[in-house]
This record gives sequence, structure tokens and C-alpha cells, in this order.
Amino acid sequence: MTAGAANLLELEDVRCGYGPTAVLHGVSLHVPEGGIVSLLGANGAGKTTTLRAITGAIHWMGDIRFAGHSLRRMATEDIVRSGIAHVPEGRGILTELTVDENLRLGAHKRKDREAVRKDYERVFEYFPVLRERRRLSASTLSGGEQQMLAVARALLMKPRLMLLDEPSLGLAPMVVRSIFEIIRTINQTDHVAVLLVEQNARLALDLSSDAYVLEVGRVAVSGKSAELQGQESVRRSYLGY
Amino acid sequence: MQELIQQVVSGLANGGIFASLALALVLIYNAMGLLNFAQGEMAMFATFIAFTFINHGVSYWFALPLTVAIAFAGGVLIQRVVIRPVERAPVLTLVIVTLGLATLINGAAGFFFGYVPRVFPSPFSVSTVNLLGAYVSYQDMGVIVVSGVVLVLIYLLLQRTTIGLTMRAAAHHREASRLLGVRVSWMLALGWGLASAVGTVSGIMVAPVLVLEPNLMQTIIIYAFAAAVLGGIESPLGAVVGGLIVGVTVNLAGAYIPFVGGDLQLAVALAIIVGVLVVKPNGLFGRPSVRNV
Amino acid sequence: MQLIQQRLRTAPPRYWLVLVVAMFFVGLPTVVSSFQSSEWTQVLIFAIVIMGLNILVGYSGQISLGHGALMAVGAYTSAILIHRYRVDYLVTIPIAGLLTGVVGFLLGIPALRLSALYLALATFALAVVTPSLIKRPVELTGGVQGILIAAPDPPQFAKDAFAAITGGPAMTSDQWMYYVSLFLALLLFWFAWNIVRHRPGRAMRAIRDREVAAATFGINVAAYKTMAFGISAFYAGIAGALYGLTSGFVSPDSFPLALSFQLLVGTVIGGLGSIAGPLVGGIFTFWLPIISSQFVSSQPWIPAQIASAFQKAGPAVTYGALLIVIMIFAPNGIVGLVFAGYVRLQARLRGAGDRGTGQMPPDPQTV
Repeated sequence: MTAGAANLLELEDVRCGYGPTAVLHGVSLHVPEGGIVSLLGANGAGKTTTLRAITGAIHWMGDIRFAGHSLRRMATEDIVRSGIAHVPEGRGILTELTVDENLRLGAHKRKDREAVRKDYERVFEYFPVLRERRRLSASTLSGGEQQMLAVARALLMKPRLMLLDEPSLGLAPMVVRSIFEIIRTINQTDHVAVLLVEQNARLALDLSSDAYVLEVGRVAVSGKSAELQGQESVRRSYLGY
Repeated sequence: MQELIQQVVSGLANGGIFASLALALVLIYNAMGLLNFAQGEMAMFATFIAFTFINHGVSYWFALPLTVAIAFAGGVLIQRVVIRPVERAPVLTLVIVTLGLATLINGAAGFFFGYVPRVFPSPFSVSTVNLLGAYVSYQDMGVIVVSGVVLVLIYLLLQRTTIGLTMRAAAHHREASRLLGVRVSWMLALGWGLASAVGTVSGIMVAPVLVLEPNLMQTIIIYAFAAAVLGGIESPLGAVVGGLIVGVTVNLAGAYIPFVGGDLQLAVALAIIVGVLVVKPNGLFGRPSVRNV
Repeated sequence: MQLIQQRLRTAPPRYWLVLVVAMFFVGLPTVVSSFQSSEWTQVLIFAIVIMGLNILVGYSGQISLGHGALMAVGAYTSAILIHRYRVDYLVTIPIAGLLTGVVGFLLGIPALRLSALYLALATFALAVVTPSLIKRPVELTGGVQGILIAAPDPPQFAKDAFAAITGGPAMTSDQWMYYVSLFLALLLFWFAWNIVRHRPGRAMRAIRDREVAAATFGINVAAYKTMAFGISAFYAGIAGALYGLTSGFVSPDSFPLALSFQLLVGTVIGGLGSIAGPLVGGIFTFWLPIISSQFVSSQPWIPAQIASAFQKAGPAVTYGALLIVIMIFAPNGIVGLVFAGYVRLQARLRGAGDRGTGQMPPDPQTV
């Protein structure tokens, strides 16, 4: 693993858990500037826990650095403000508010009005259904639409890194495909790095350049996505296909 | 007929007072799922502060916003110091803390301002104007207008500004809001400040009608709870509508139902509270919630 | 005989503690003034209400801010029976208890539909409204002025026994009422202890901790919850009757919201779900306002004006502040705090390695 300026996010020997139960036993990974990295593994392997540790929802030991700064002891809202957008499991949609209000919350910390306006336009281009449903309560959106809203909102935050937790969960394949395409576009156009947690390993490996496979709280396998896809033994043992 | 109009108008005026305090209760309930039993006492204390300003020559229309601003700060302070440490405590603890706070504030008011009832000046003359053949007092109309203005301002603040948006987000969705960079903890404090400010208006409006003494708000809070519960404890709109309904109903009941008369009006409020909670706990505008097991 | 000896030998220390405390209370009036005895009577009266409230809040998990109102029901029942119908005052006590118990049971029915917070609100509203409800039927309740109750005269046997023991002046009414209250307190304590130790107590605790789970275990949640309300009201009714008898009068303003609140606080401060709690709670409820106002006026360095203002307002400020601090730092009440300390001390004395006795620290609920 190359240390240094190229890595936007670095996790080093991260250990954490819930109460007395340890979930991560020393996870190390890194996400390069503008790269897409997938984090794979079975249920309970610790993928979601890893993301939650990054955004400060749980205590961790080891080291987590974002753009060179350690995230230790930072409050979630400060971590997020430093440039990380986290779309959690369940999407974190504020269902008491409208679609538009959700989007506004994404952009609310930004001062660059022109750019925000342009980003809104782009977001509506990617996800036209959001423009249609702007004034409606976010609770009226379907699962796929909520996922789109969550990604759109994250994009409006103009992050340097996006953490996506199981974006494909519960969605129809066509919807998933289009969302992944849009993520790829966002990554290429805005140079937003992505750390993608997915159970759908095939999709994730297609999208990402590097991958880590977690097993029971440890990194079991890692490497270039293309290589992992090529290795049948890896696919069989860890990725289920 | 004239009397009916008079009763309705004065009921609406009372309703405006109840609505303001009820709105304060709803704001805090939305933010933290707790009923602030101390809301009335906080308003009373602020009203005493306003009285002190006015007594020292400050004009009423300057003292009012000044006191509201002080009350805002007080609300924030109380949230930071008293409420935050027990945020995650069980219901019983929170009930005791807010009631303890009420006791403390009541005692502090007695300590600083004394128990002698004071006359609180009103900027509205007590003379009446002819409305549809009935004589309606400027006082009542003034209360309706002021309450209305305050409620509209709160509405605009919450619905049309960014800070209102972040407050609403923090109130309903804490964790998700954090992930959007919202400083949830401060938003909750602001919520308390805002609630305190709104409640203060209620106190200042009612003080000229009753006498200003530490127990001023003890009955008003019951009416406010009735309004909040009737409207739906989560709904700001419900608080306003509920307030007006309670105000008019209680007035009419007192005037036209001999059994109720002047002294059992409070019992009407109790009946509303218990009736709504038992029959339709979500009130008029509330949404049914699912209990997590 | 042997059985008794065996029981005495193996009785856990807490039984002895109870015995010592009981003896202290029995002997108290012989060594303090009549007035002081009457103060302790108030403590016992509060302890009785709190025993009942403890069953409701600590065991069945329902909040009530209305037990002052229930006390009023008991007090007025007794007063009206004595005043209007010339019933013997001792007889009015259980009647008051039973009537209040029925009222409480009936209140418990709509209460089933209310969540904890809403129940607190409903009982809060009830407590605030009660004085005006009492004032209404003037014929019956004496309205604002209330009803006067003549101080009961101690029966001859009691006077003789008391005189024999103390060799002093004849037993006063206050002292007699002290013993009546003590007797009832002990009786009701025993009753509560038995409820809590056996199935009703376990059922209620199950309901308190996980109501839905309890229902799936076949526990009749509704029955236990309403029963808890009824029982706690019964206790409040008896205490209310005693309250009237010992004050010499009942009036609507004797039962304000503050009383209901103080009772709930006393229950929590004493320690929910503990048996010793009510006594601690009773002591706290009665003595704190007095001590806090006396403390300030006894300090010479506080100017007289502040001291007199503090007299009236101070107890409230101290009370409120103290409560908040306690809730923040000791959510299990004073007994819980003491108990936690006791457990830690025991552990340290025993040393880490000693697993020999196999005796678990006593469950706080089963003193």
C-alpha cells in the first residue's frame, strides 16, 4: 500500500466494536484521490461498521486519516463538513421533510451559490424524478427514488469522498444499474472518490478500481478489482459467484 | 347574539395565548419527545423580567422584544445545563427534571420578585369597539393580533429559512442530520430557545388580564397542554388550531353551561386532555406512530 | 420453638435492620416532645403514600402526578364521614382507603391507554384541577373553607400504657395519632412487602421492564396495572385520612400540585422498587423544605431581607436544584446510591478471589 499524498482516506489497523463485542479486528485500507474502492464481504463481516467508524458514529482504535488529518475524536458533523458524504444503510432520508428540503440540507453549508445552482441542475438531469417530486414529502418516494435522493443529496454536499452503504439493497436491477452509472459519472466528472460497501460483489467490482474483502472483521483479500474478478478461487470463496 | 360574539372574540384572544404556549410545548416535544412541564414557569419568569424593564421606564414595545431575546438565551442555557445531561434518561427522570425546573424557577421568581401580585401594564386600552353590534375590547383584539404576528413569524422562521430547516431536521432525524453536517446538539438548544421565546409572548399577553405573580402560568399551562394535545402534540399547526378551539370552547362553556361556570373552566381543559388522549391520542393533526418493541 | 430459633439464626442482616428501625419508631414518642412526634407522624404518612406509589411507579412502571389528589379523596371521605355522619374516626380510615382504592382502580382503566408521558400529563392536569373540583360542591366539602376535624382523644388503655412507660404527662392526641399511623404504616409495609415478593410483584416487574414480552408470557397486563393503581390509591386514601386527622382540618388548598409532585419525588429519591425507599422518601419529603428554610435563616451572615425572602422561596429553589442534580447523578435514588456503595464495599472486603459463599448481593427489591 502506497502511503502518502495520493491517498485521500487511510485506515490503519482499525479496531472497534459495540460494547464488549469487537467487530473489526485490525482493518487497513486506503482510498486514493478520485478513486473508487469497494468493500465487500458477507453479512456481519464489518463493512457497515467500517463506514460508521469513519464518520465517527462509534469509537475506534487505530488510525483513520482523511486528507492527512486524523479523524480521531471528531464529531460526526465535523467529519462530514470536512468533505465526506455518507449515505448510510437505509439511506438516511429525512422523511418528515420534502424532497426539496432534503436536497437543500445537502447544500446548506455551501457558500458558492452559482455552483450550487449548477449542481442542482445536474442532479435533476441525473434524476429527473426528483424534479417532479420536489415538493412532495420524501416519504412518498419509492426505495429506488429514495436511493437517488440520497445520492443526489450527497452530491450536493460537494464532497471529496462519498461513502455508500449498500446502494443496491432492495432495488430493481435496472434502477441499480442506472444509479451505478451515475456514480461512475460523478466520480469521473467531479473527481469524487468513492468507498462502496456492497453485497453485490459483481456490480461493485465492475465499478471500482480496487477492492477489499472483509471476513469477520479482517481484510481477507485485497487488490485490483479486475484481478479479483479474474481469480475464480477468490470469487468462489469470498464473493459467492 | 352580541354576547356570543363577545365571548367568541375573547375566547379567541385567550386562544392566542394558549396557542403561543402550546406552540412552545410542541417545539420541544418535536425536538426531544418530552413534555416541558416547566414551560409556563419559564414564561412567567420572563414576564417578570419584562415587568422590571417597563417599571424602569422602558417602553412596552421595546421591552417586549428585549425580553423575548433574553428568554431565548435563557432557553438555550437551560437546555445546555439542565436538559442535555439527562437527554437519554427514561421518561420518569425527564418528568421529574422538568417539574424540578418548574419548582426551581417558581421559587426563584418568588425570591427575586416577591409574591405580591403586580399589575402588569397593557399597551392596549380596555375600551371597546363596536364589532357587528357587539362590544369587543381593544385588549382582546390586541392579543389576537400580537399572538398572530408571533405565530406567523415562527412559521416563517421554521419553514422558510435555512436555520429553520436545520432545526426541523435535527428535531426529527438526529443521526441522519449529523451525516449532513447539521450541528444537532446546537439545533436542539436553539429549539429550546425558540420555545422559551414563544412561551414568553404568552406570558406577557396574559399578565395584564390576570395578576402578575409567580403562580401566573399554573393554570395557563393546563390550557396550553389541552391545546397541544387536541391539535396533535407534534403539530405546530395543531397547537394554533387547538389553542383557538380550547380558548373559545372554555369561554363558551363557562358562559353558557351553568354547571361549569367560572371556576370549573379548568376542569373542561382536563376533560379535553383526558378525552383526547384516551380516544384519539394523535389529536387533530398528529400522525399515528408505531411503537418500537 | 426450634423453628423460630433456626429462623432467627439464619435471618439475613436486613431482617434485623428492619426490626431495629421498627423498634426505634415504637420508642420514639417516649423520648421526644409531642410536637416532634407529630412531625414524625407526617413522615410516616408520607411513607405510607410512597409505599403505594412505589408499587405503582417502581413496580408496575406507571407514572402518577396525581397522588396528592388521591390523598384528598381519602382525607375528605374521612372528614365528611366524621363531620356529617358522625362515624367513628378509626372506622373512617379503612373506608377512606377502600373508597380511594376504588377511585384509583377506575382511574387506572383509562390510564391503560396512555403512554408514560401522557399518563404523567393526565395526572398532572388532574392534580392541578382537583382543588377547584373540591371547592365546587360546597354543601358536601365545605368549599374553600374546608372541614374542621376534632383532634381524636386517645383511648384510656393507651393513656394508661403510655403513662406507665414514660411516667410523665398523659398521652396527647398527637402521640396517639402517631401510634395509629405507625401501626398502619407497619401493617401496610408488611402488606406491600408480601405483594412485591410474590407473584404480583414479579408480574408487575415483568410488565415494567418489557410490557409486550410480559403479555406474551400470559401475564394479564391490564389487570395488574389497574390493580396497581387501585392499591396505590388505597394507600393514598389511608394516608389522606390520617393527614386530615392529624392536621385537624381538610381544605382544597391542602392538596396542591406541589404535594403530588413531592410524593413522586420522594418515591424516586427513596429509590424505586426498593422497600426501604418509602421511609427514606417520607423523611426527605417532610424534612427538606423545613431544613432548607431553617438553614438559611440560621446563617448570621445572610442579611435578614434575603433570609426572609428565602424562607418562602428558598425551599422551592433548593428542592428544584437538588432534584435536578440528583436526577443527573443518581437516577436510582438515594437508596440505589447507598446500595451500590454497599455492594462495592462488600466486593472489596471479600476480595476478588472469594467465590465461596456463592451468595448474590441481595436484590434491591426484596429487602
